[in-house]
Amino acid sequence: MRWKALWTILAVILAGIAVSVSMGSPQAASLQTSQRAVLDKYCVTCHSQTAKEKGLVPIALDKLDLSHIGSDAEIWEKVVRKVNAGVMPPPGAPHPDKAASETLTSWLTTELDRAALANPNPGRAPLHRLNRTEYANAIRDLLDLEIDAASLLPPDDSAYGFDNIADALGLSPSLQERYVSAAMKISAMAVGDPKVRADGSTYRIKQDVSQDQHLEGLPIGTVGGTQVRHTFPLDGEYVFQAKLYRTNLNIMRGLESAHNVEFAVDGERVLLARVGGPADLDALFQKPTDTGDAVDARLRVRIPVKAGPHVVTATFLQESQAAGPGRLQHYIRSSVDNFDWSGQPHIQTLTINGPFASTGMGDTPSRRRIFTCVPANARAEAACAKQILSGLARRAYRQPISETDLQRIMKFYESGRANTENGGFDAGIRTALQRILASPQFIFRIERDPAPGPARHIGDYELASRLSFFLWSTIPDDRLLQLAGAGKLSRPAVLEAEVRRMLADSRSRALVDNFAGQWLRIRNLSIVSPNSDLFPDFDDNLRQAFRRETEMLFDSIIREDRNVLDLMTADYTFVNERLARQYGIAGIYGSQFRRVPITDPARRGLLGQGSFLAVTSHAERTSPVLRGKWVLENILGLPVPPPPPNVPPLKERANGEKPRTIREQMAEHRADPACASCHKIMDSIGFALENFDAVGAWRSMDADVPVDASGDLADGTHVNGVVELRAALLKKPDLFVGTMTEKLMTYALGRGIDYRDMPAVRTIVRDSGRDGFKFSSLVLGVVRSLPFQLKMAPEKEIEVAANVRH
Amino acid sequence: MFVTRKSLSRRTMLKAMGAAVSLPFLESMIPALTPLARAAAMPPRRFGAVYFPNGAIMQQFTPKTVGAGFEFTPILKPLETFKDQLVVATNLTRSHPGSQVGDHAVSAAGFLTGVWPKRTEAEDVLANTTIDQIIAQKIGQDTPLPSLELATEDFTGYVGACSPGFSCSYMNTISWRTPTTPLPMETNPRAAFERIFGEAGSAAERMERIHQQQSLLDSISEEAASLQRVLGPRDRVRMNDYLENIREIERRIQQIERRQGTQIVTGAAPLGVPDSFDEHVSLMFDLLAAAWHADVTRVFTFMMSRELSQRTYPQIGVTEQHHSVSHHTGNPEKMAKMVIVNTYYVQFFAKFLEKLRATEDGDGSLLDHSLIVYGAGMGDSNSHASDPLPIVLTGGGVGEGHRHVQVPVRTPVGCLWSAVAERFGVPPVERFGDGTGKIDGIF
Repeated sequence: MRWKALWTILAVILAGIAVSVSMGSPQAASLQTSQRAVLDKYCVTCHSQTAKEKGLVPIALDKLDLSHIGSDAEIWEKVVRKVNAGVMPPPGAPHPDKAASETLTSWLTTELDRAALANPNPGRAPLHRLNRTEYANAIRDLLDLEIDAASLLPPDDSAYGFDNIADALGLSPSLQERYVSAAMKISAMAVGDPKVRADGSTYRIKQDVSQDQHLEGLPIGTVGGTQVRHTFPLDGEYVFQAKLYRTNLNIMRGLESAHNVEFAVDGERVLLARVGGPADLDALFQKPTDTGDAVDARLRVRIPVKAGPHVVTATFLQESQAAGPGRLQHYIRSSVDNFDWSGQPHIQTLTINGPFASTGMGDTPSRRRIFTCVPANARAEAACAKQILSGLARRAYRQPISETDLQRIMKFYESGRANTENGGFDAGIRTALQRILASPQFIFRIERDPAPGPARHIGDYELASRLSFFLWSTIPDDRLLQLAGAGKLSRPAVLEAEVRRMLADSRSRALVDNFAGQWLRIRNLSIVSPNSDLFPDFDDNLRQAFRRETEMLFDSIIREDRNVLDLMTADYTFVNERLARQYGIAGIYGSQFRRVPITDPARRGLLGQGSFLAVTSHAERTSPVLRGKWVLENILGLPVPPPPPNVPPLKERANGEKPRTIREQMAEHRADPACASCHKIMDSIGFALENFDAVGAWRSMDADVPVDASGDLADGTHVNGVVELRAALLKKPDLFVGTMTEKLMTYALGRGIDYRDMPAVRTIVRDSGRDGFKFSSLVLGVVRSLPFQLKMAPEKEIEVAANVRH
Repeated sequence: MFVTRKSLSRRTMLKAMGAAVSLPFLESMIPALTPLARAAAMPPRRFGAVYFPNGAIMQQFTPKTVGAGFEFTPILKPLETFKDQLVVATNLTRSHPGSQVGDHAVSAAGFLTGVWPKRTEAEDVLANTTIDQIIAQKIGQDTPLPSLELATEDFTGYVGACSPGFSCSYMNTISWRTPTTPLPMETNPRAAFERIFGEAGSAAERMERIHQQQSLLDSISEEAASLQRVLGPRDRVRMNDYLENIREIERRIQQIERRQGTQIVTGAAPLGVPDSFDEHVSLMFDLLAAAWHADVTRVFTFMMSRELSQRTYPQIGVTEQHHSVSHHTGNPEKMAKMVIVNTYYVQFFAKFLEKLRATEDGDGSLLDHSLIVYGAGMGDSNSHASDPLPIVLTGGGVGEGHRHVQVPVRTPVGCLWSAVAERFGVPPVERFGDGTGKIDGIF
């Protein structure tokens, strides 16, 4: 506490100095003159008005007024960014010494921050549609019901690297139609609808899952298969049907020896079927299609299941390895060959159909959540319905509901209840729930624009929503709404306590899945498919392990409130047997993940993780360009512009000879000056990572050539290998923390951030630095920041409205 | 005994593949449908646009000779059987040739719009109303769905899958209802099925559901209208879009009610998104054929894959990613693979045409009464060329078939859409997008 107080005092003094210096004092004037000299000497040679007019450079610095930095904030923010990151002046040009460039950037940022403080601009809070993830989470929290949003709603567009950007979340008739249809389906699922028709859900297992090994989460003593959490709409009978994989020639795989397939519901075995063995194999040779169908027919069972969510598994019992055909399989992936019918059978789909012969709506978590009262008699029904529905609507709309809103909902209750065929109290609630879920107040986050004029604080309910969508990707819980209702949420102490509570809550897992999942591109793993001829070991098991490792690292940063730099440097990681094997870590057995210390410094942090290394590779090789770009954008905060127009394609050499290494190919690439300016910066970062192949394995040879992992970074630092690269990137920790803060703000606000937000970003980084860059300090910084706390009417609203054509 | 990859001929494999992807479920819904009333043979009654990503090897696409009776190139070979209802149009270009910024985004967004979309990440996307939507305004109003938009790849949350600086909307759809309203494309066959045929149920149940939808929509629009009063101008515009959408759905519901007599018997709905590309694309084509047959819609757009697609096609021996193969650098081996991929896509389209040809429609077949464009917004993929674009027109709507029409070099693709609009009886479109007029003599 004492230190904190001291820092605060120091900060105030420093700010005071900054203010007094810039207030036209003689010191200010001389500082201004000296900075002009630095700019003239190192920047203006290229960045002149003349050069700009010729289209040689995007910005000019010679004519800007240094006494009003704030009026050219957009340009100066670019200068700060490039100089800080060491990419300007460009490699090869004369550089100011470290002290001079630091003086320049700190003078510029002081001026920029001062100007921003005088005229705060938090941007606008546009109408914000819930994205698919938020919608599913909201349903989960509102109704205690898990839904597969991807099957109910169409895909969302992304922008600025995230799928929760208000302006990218569009509207269309088909989308609107899906919302109405989703509202009807979800209501039936949550309340129960005795007239619901039997329907099927199919769960598919990716073809590249190796099913000859135990999969995490499945029962011990099993291999392969799948485990799903399925919600059963009614008490009744359901049909479970699995289908086994067939090769491209339509021959069922894995019948040459016997295997036992087990289905279980909540761990209770409901089917044990034998497939394969001499008789099946014989029949397979006679009639491949019929035999396959006959075998699948054994993997079918109809059993009674209670309504609500249950864990369903379909898997193989582990057989003794000795009983196998003893085939020689020299790669890890068990399904690498689409024509190979021998080896382990693979479950391809599991379909659950039902309900048949339903016996009632049952007692489900959703019904327990919804029915907070049970009317004793018909006269008590209306009051109970009101209680239930106003509670649900308040949560769903994230604020107190108006009398008109309640009336609208009650009208649906009445009509549902009065339905002659399928009516009653429950039906009334179900129908009214449809209305709540179809409401624009549920589907949109609506913040009313304040009157034109200076920025104002958002209301407490709006704050509650901003917080919960940021930290949990869902609607606020009761506690947040209560605090908002009491007007207490915005009190600094309460706000901080709430943020800490929310981070500690399991729902903050959303930050891993949605924030880190997109920032670090973990989600992109789902379409990584390395060439199976070159990487026959790569299977979905490894893909999932890559994903889990990075997710768990990020999760540990949140849970343990660590320094966010640990993302780059952590001396621990999380592996299972499959991943440990890929990384060459000995002594790790089994499919479950565990925390292990890292002994090889190359593997520390994100740059040593398979997720990053694989998503930045091509199917057949690594890509130093993509890796360099990833690092620039996600670590250093330097967006890489698209290639310039009219790039001639890379020519094959006349003699048909191919460049031997990636490095040679890239050298040809960089021979063109138009390409070189960016590629010099990107490629050298990528080269330093060349010891990792396209699937994250360590290598010292690339084909028959020793790996050369050396390169010169833009600021002239020579690095060799990932360890030196990491050290160089973290020389200025503010760059990484600043980049992470920008991403966090983009995600928190649901809009692209620009130069006007940079003063807020710097404040967050500075404050967080005093707190050891703890994750919570970054989050609190964002929550306390001006763009998060304030809003203002759009600057040119009439113009904007006029521009939107129809 | 091992069956290894090497010992297999490609033909055997394709045969097996074909067997695996035939999906009988849609056949079962056909009998109960009433065929369309006999109508005059002209103009075509239906319009479709099928998009393939990442460009083509143009030398293997474009016929060598101009005019009637050209010889089919390797990529177009699967379409030879439809030659009498087929026209190849060459030398068309997207607008702004020369610039190559955001190529993939502008290829998808520039194809049916005929414009260069505004460079922006999110706030203010701006392209042009697409030709399918212009036709839908003319011929799509008597069917429950004015138009249907399908695709196969869902890129939600996938970062870096869009061209830098360009909104993802530009790549996620090829259909724009207005210059500022991209229409999202449905990738889930189950959802597409329900959109076309409604959810399963008896006629009474379906009518009840429809009425329920209607009362929900009425109530929602009332609520939205009252919310609109408290919103700022920009949000008011968005809320207005929202209300318009609701009215559009209400229109659709009325259409369905009007057809109450025509009960559509549906087979089992497909379950979820197939894992295999073959199955997914075939399923979507089947759904489109069924939607036309049932006259649920007369206009569709289908993006077989998305620009920048990273798919690999081990089933046809292409284990590199589509996008990566498309940058072939003139390497003959890679170019050969790209030709395989291009041809593979055409094969799916040919199967679709076959289905349309086999489906009776009044005095002819569905194919006879349609105009379907197959093409892309990118020519030679290696250089991201914006011209010449690979474009084939098929169906009875082309008039005299087996022609290779070569227009002047760099004719804006909008000129083709002007001609197409005219073909559908849309009042003359002077300048479609950046087009400078209309191509004469293409139909």
